[in-house]
Amino acid sequence: MPAAKVLAIAALAAAYGASWAQGTVLRYGQALSAQKSIYSLPVTLAEREGLFRREGIDFRVVIPVPGGADRMIAALHDDTVDLTHVATPFLVRAAIAGSDAVAIAAEFNDPIYSLVARPEIARIADLKGRVVALADPGGSITYSMRKLLALHGVRESDLQVKTIDGTPARLNCLRRGGCDAVPLGQPQDLVAQAEGYRLLGVSNDAVPAHLYTVTAARRSWAAANPDLVVRYVRALSAAFATIHDPAKRGAVVAAIVDITSVPPAIAEQALELYSRPGRKVLPSRGEIDVKGLERVIAFMGEAGQLEGPLPEAGRFVDLTYLRRAGIQ
Amino acid sequence: MPAAKVLAFLVALLFPLHALAGANRDRGQDEVGPGPDEGPSYFGVVLDAVGKPVDDARVTATHRDGLAMVTRSNAAGAYKLPGFNKKFNSDDVKISCAKPGYRQMRVFRHPPPRTGPVRAVETECRLQKS
Repeated sequence: MPAAKVLAIAALAAAYGASWAQGTVLRYGQALSAQKSIYSLPVTLAEREGLFRREGIDFRVVIPVPGGADRMIAALHDDTVDLTHVATPFLVRAAIAGSDAVAIAAEFNDPIYSLVARPEIARIADLKGRVVALADPGGSITYSMRKLLALHGVRESDLQVKTIDGTPARLNCLRRGGCDAVPLGQPQDLVAQAEGYRLLGVSNDAVPAHLYTVTAARRSWAAANPDLVVRYVRALSAAFATIHDPAKRGAVVAAIVDITSVPPAIAEQALELYSRPGRKVLPSRGEIDVKGLERVIAFMGEAGQLEGPLPEAGRFVDLTYLRRAGIQ
Repeated sequence: MPAAKVLAFLVALLFPLHALAGANRDRGQDEVGPGPDEGPSYFGVVLDAVGKPVDDARVTATHRDGLAMVTRSNAAGAYKLPGFNKKFNSDDVKISCAKPGYRQMRVFRHPPPRTGPVRAVETECRLQKS
């Protein structure tokens, strides 16, 4: 073989090697509030443990501003991101309105939201007339809080309601005195209780287990990039395996501390809460609980957010990539 | 996608449910301000080659580890992005702007104040029609 050809082949091989080392760029959308919350744990851990790199993915987290749960599917459509983290009611709503976005993997199942109040408020019934910050009115956090309040004879119209996205911002409102009670996820609910705020109840008292957050992609984009989607799903699955591995607890605690800025002991408590028997907060490997999505659709129907016969959950899910990865 | 569906989708995005929520609801923006762990914010303008504002340009702040925030300029060409975590050095954050039909000419970063902590980073991003 002539020297020039050998050189050309060597140059091509080097370029290919360099490109694999860098990986294929994958832009993942995350709301600013999620980026600072435990809901970013699976992808953060996958990044920290090199699980995306192992799959040849150059993983980039992109935060659309203004953000919020209701903007994440739009970010798929205006080419800001390739995949996105999204709470299921927002995916369902966007798909019904015409988006071809679908869930390709689960990120969080049955979440635990704690209704936490100022220390002098002893019962949920005492919240009447008080300022309560809820999350987006169209989301499952607010739905579960409405159900929890109703169990104690309190309606949303009995309260002065503020809408504040994200557990960190709602905790700020409680601390600064702008709110009397707020729903908080982990680990900030544990932080608040350690600071003397009072736990009034948890969302799981009022609503059954459901599919909370997923990774979504446009069906058309995923079909055009199947190998990349399968590699993403494999990396995410490996992150869940890490989370569930007692031998990796130190790495998981360190990731929670880094994301949420809580002390390690609080991060440990959050993990312990998730691993209690009967709790299914985190999927085993990223598998999608279609029945859990059916419950979300039922919540939305009951809340008057969906008209007519309720749609089938399968319409909002594409299991192709989980199956190809041998996960579901 | 049929035109009616596209229209419905855009309307749904423009008028999210919270806009239709009850009268006892208030969007609590005051509590959403900078958190205790937030570093300097990023703001500025996107201009064309002759100094006219460019609206709807995509402005990206990218930290060197790959984390990025993306927004769009308004009719005055202005944009604003919140800060990354305060442990990030603002010198490691690159601002860029883009719009179909344009290419980026340059990004001018205004020097930070000589005294006191950097609370915000101001840039001017110039685009040229391609």
